Formats: sequence, structure tokens, C-alpha cells
Amino acid sequence: MLDYGLLKRQVDQMAVDASTLQDDFFARIDLACSEMDRWEDAWKTLGIKIARSRTSWLVAQLGGPITEACPRPDRPKELTVIAADGSQIFPDRHEVANCFLINIGYVVIHYGTGERPVLNSEPTLFYDEDDLYQEWAGKRSPITREVVGVRRNAMELEKVVTLSALAHAEGRTCVGLTDGTLILWMLEGKPYDFRRETLQTTLAGLERLRELRVPIAGYISDPGSADVLNALRVGLCPEQPTNCDKCPWKAAEAQHLLDFDGDSEPPAPIPCEPIAGVTDDMLYARRLKRGERSGVYRSASKILEDYGPHRICFFYVHTGWEIGRVEIPEWVAKDRELLDLVHATVVDQVDKGRGYPVVLSESHERAIVRGADRDIFFKFLKDAFVKNNIKTEQSLKQLKKMAAAV
Amino acid sequence: MALSSIDISTEYIGEIVESSTSQFTSESRELNGAPPFGSFVKTLGALPVYGLVFNVCTHSIEPNRRATAYGLTEQELREEQPQIFELLKTEFEAVIIGYGDDRGPQQVLPPQPPGIHSFVFPCTESEIKALTNSGDFLRSILCGNRLPADDLIIASVRNAWAARALDMPYLVSIGKDLCRLIRDDYDRLSSIMRRISQ
Repeated sequence: MLDYGLLKRQVDQMAVDASTLQDDFFARIDLACSEMDRWEDAWKTLGIKIARSRTSWLVAQLGGPITEACPRPDRPKELTVIAADGSQIFPDRHEVANCFLINIGYVVIHYGTGERPVLNSEPTLFYDEDDLYQEWAGKRSPITREVVGVRRNAMELEKVVTLSALAHAEGRTCVGLTDGTLILWMLEGKPYDFRRETLQTTLAGLERLRELRVPIAGYISDPGSADVLNALRVGLCPEQPTNCDKCPWKAAEAQHLLDFDGDSEPPAPIPCEPIAGVTDDMLYARRLKRGERSGVYRSASKILEDYGPHRICFFYVHTGWEIGRVEIPEWVAKDRELLDLVHATVVDQVDKGRGYPVVLSESHERAIVRGADRDIFFKFLKDAFVKNNIKTEQSLKQLKKMAAAV
Repeated sequence: MALSSIDISTEYIGEIVESSTSQFTSESRELNGAPPFGSFVKTLGALPVYGLVFNVCTHSIEPNRRATAYGLTEQELREEQPQIFELLKTEFEAVIIGYGDDRGPQQVLPPQPPGIHSFVFPCTESEIKALTNSGDFLRSILCGNRLPADDLIIASVRNAWAARALDMPYLVSIGKDLCRLIRDDYDRLSSIMRRISQ
């Protein structure tokens, strides 16, 4: 139950705060753009400075001029685009039985041939002890939502790989697309064996695609990332090499804060601060024309050190609707033909889907488990248990939710 | 026609998804493949049911997704947006005008509605003749709820006439039946008669 009166006041305050923040934003984007131009010819110097830097944020590693913009290549007339997306019913210990469900929606659309597409979904029920409890680093615990999510991602990729192998065997030119990042950053800081097992599955899938030379890409709509902007922040830093841990400006600022008498001079502003807060999509909204993509950068995520030849690279693309981020394994980035195929496919897909790749929205539609589906799933469970004369119990909490007394 | 003499897998044109004793709705087997408005259809089974198609519509399979214009020809759509054809379906509605028992087609409503998921087939010429040998089917149309009665009479009479190789005496006898049924509205009657023979 929401107290609208209390909520409205907070929403109004939030809007006031947001509008104040935006005031100097355009100036920051202007400055970021001119910084980009400043490094146009000296991008290699910037690349070296980045390689030597130690920062507290992710910095894009340059593979070419930072101002690079490539026009949209032609899409092959006949092309098969494959995507998979998943959704789940999480384990709920208050329900009749302890289990969880992952539903993988997948689509295979053949363009230019007039063939019927495949639009389908495949549910998998997990109820074994091994599925519900996991032992990582010698500690046994019930499976968490996060682990279900990781498992779902692995199943999505597996589906794209299987379908791509089939399409490839039929002699088709194909591209696999997934929704969201290909960087398993959520594994950072997780138990070693969990991390290893998840990475093995993902990398095996990517390796299979590499062998078949079928490109795969992760599409991120409305990316909030600032890897390229952070590269420009390194460029603004006068220190050689940049090391955020030893930033003299930050130290001076901290010192000033400790000066309780207020006698000391205000510290000089941090040199990289004037463009902070700008994101890469704001920057590229100024730089790219419709259909164009940026240069390809390597991501500096720590988890990618374990990716080997599948290290994830990315580029930004002006789809005509927004600036999207496209992530690809390094072997796609280095193969110009595959890179162009991904670029052309993504722009075409967003055109067809009027703002979002059509294969991703259709696979999402197939994957989604709505409230009514969830109710039917639990009805199936209850009916099957009753039919087989198995004693089940819903928790009192669950029963209370269904019929709260006044 | 006996069930065994029909190849169900290839000849059915629709499958019933909503059923009552007076009308049924079928999902067409092919997109845009519904039987024509005013055509005679049937279901099979112990008591075959006969109907007259009075409405055909094509729409999205999901209630929260509407079809939108793309500005492409059908060929271009099939090549560049092939998924949309999987997201649309054609349905047709039929008003029930009779059922069959061991004596053949009877022009009264069936004791039970046709089963949901029953297959729907087009009627043969001999079945159309049996269902339209008197003007009783016209009364079913005129008494039906929310039917486009005049146009349905025109289309069904033309089909019944065609099943009889455009036999003129048959058309005259149906015309007489119509005169009796719509005798209190001369303008309506003459409009129907004129359009049947156009």
C-alpha cells in the first residue's frame, strides 16, 4: 500500500534535483567532444597512457583512432538471424514444492528467402537436489536468484549456439544475437569453482561459434557505460602515469576537508572532473550519424582476463533510434567480414523492430512467463502432487498473502 | 460423408475454438485461408453440424499486440518481416443451419454444439443441395442474432444456385420463399432479389 501524499513530495524533490544537475551537462558533453578531437591524431599516445594507467573506473582500450566512425555496411540479402532470451520462476520455499523453472524463448528468422521463421519456447523444470542446492568453496546453500540468472544466461547462449550450428550446417549465413552483455562481470568475487564452471560453459559455446565462424553479439539498449569517456578522462589527467589511488588533486581535496579552521586555499579542481558524469551514448549521439558505428574497443573488465581468444570488445552504433552498445568476442572484432556482418545486422534488426532488434523482442515475447502462466504452473504442481498422493504444504506466509483478514 | 473417407490431415480448413448450439468460431488452418463469406461448411462426427460462414477476420494472436502498417508489399514483408505471419491468425464464424443424422441433413439446430477443436470442412455440392432444397435456411439467417442478414442471404443463395448449375426454376422458387419471408418490406426484398441475380 502506498502513501501517495508522502511519495508525491519525494518525487517532486527528485525532479527538482535532477533538473539542477542537468544545467551544466551540455557544457560537459561539449568538452568531451573537443577532447575526443584533440586525440584524433595522437590516439596511439592516448592508448599508451591508458595501458599504463591505474584507475578506479573501467577504461576502454583503444584499437584505432578514437574519432573513428564507420558507415553502415550492406546486409547480405539472404541472412539468418538467431536469438534466445530466457525468463524464470524463481525457487520459492513458501510454495507447494521446491523447484524452479527456466523458460527459453528462441527465434530463427530467415531474411530474403520467404521461409517461415521459427518462434518457439522451451521450459525446463529443475527439482533435483543438485539443482536446488549448490556447493561452492565447500559451502552448501540453497540456490539463489543470482545463480538461477547465471544458469539462464548459459542456457540462452547454449540455445543460440545449437541453432547457429544447425543453420550453419544448412549452409546459411547467420548471426546470433543475445540481449545484454556478454561480459559475465557478476562472476567477479564469486567462489572460484562457481566462476570456473560458469566460464567453462560460456567459453565452450563461444569456442563452438568461433570454429563455425558464426558471429555472436550482445546488444545493449540505453547503455549507461562510460568506458570511452573514461579513456578521455585519462587523457585529461596530467599525471604520468595516471594512478587514481595516488591522485594529488584528490589528496588536496581530502586535506582541505580536514581543515576545520577554513584557513587553507580551496584546492584546485580535479583535472578529469569536468567531463565526469557524461556517458558514452551521450558522447556518440553527437559524433555518429544514423547507421554509423564507432571504432571497436576492448573492454577492461577484470573477468575478461579469463576469456582467452573470446575477450569481449564493443562498439557503439547509431541505430537511428538510439545509441546502442554492441559487444562481440575479439575473434569477431578482428575479422572485418564478421564485424561488418554484425554491424549491418544490428542496424537492420533495430530498423525492423522499430527501435529494438526484432529477434530480441520476439524471443523475449516467447520467453516471458506472465502472472497467469505462473499461476497455472503452480496449479499444475498442486494437481500433480494431489494426484500422486504426495503430501504438500504451503507456508502460512503464502496462505496469509492469498487471504489477509481484516 | 463418412469420417474415414476424408483425409483429415489435408482437407480441413479450420478448427473450432468457440462453440454454441447456434454459432461456432473456427481458426483457419492457413492465414487468410478462411472459406468465403456465405459458404457452407460442416464438422464431422456422430452428429455432423452444418453452418454458413457469416464473418471472417484476421488479427494478432496476442491481445496486447496490434498489427501496424509497414508500407511494404506482401512479398517484401515475407522476405524482410517474416515473423509477422506467425503472429497473425484468421478466424471465421458460422451460423448453424442444421445437423446431420441417419436420415441426412436436418434443417434444425443440433441437440449439442459441435466439439471444440473439431475440424471444419467445406460442404460438398450434394450437401449444399440437401441444405438448401427449401427456403428454411433463409429463415435461420433472418432469425439469427447480429448477422449481416441481407448480404448473407445474397451470398448463400448464389452458392446454392451455383451448386445447381445456375438452374433458373430453383432461383424462382427461392425468390418465392423470400417474398413470403420479407413481404412487409418491399424495398429490402427488391434490393436482395436484384443483387442475387446480378
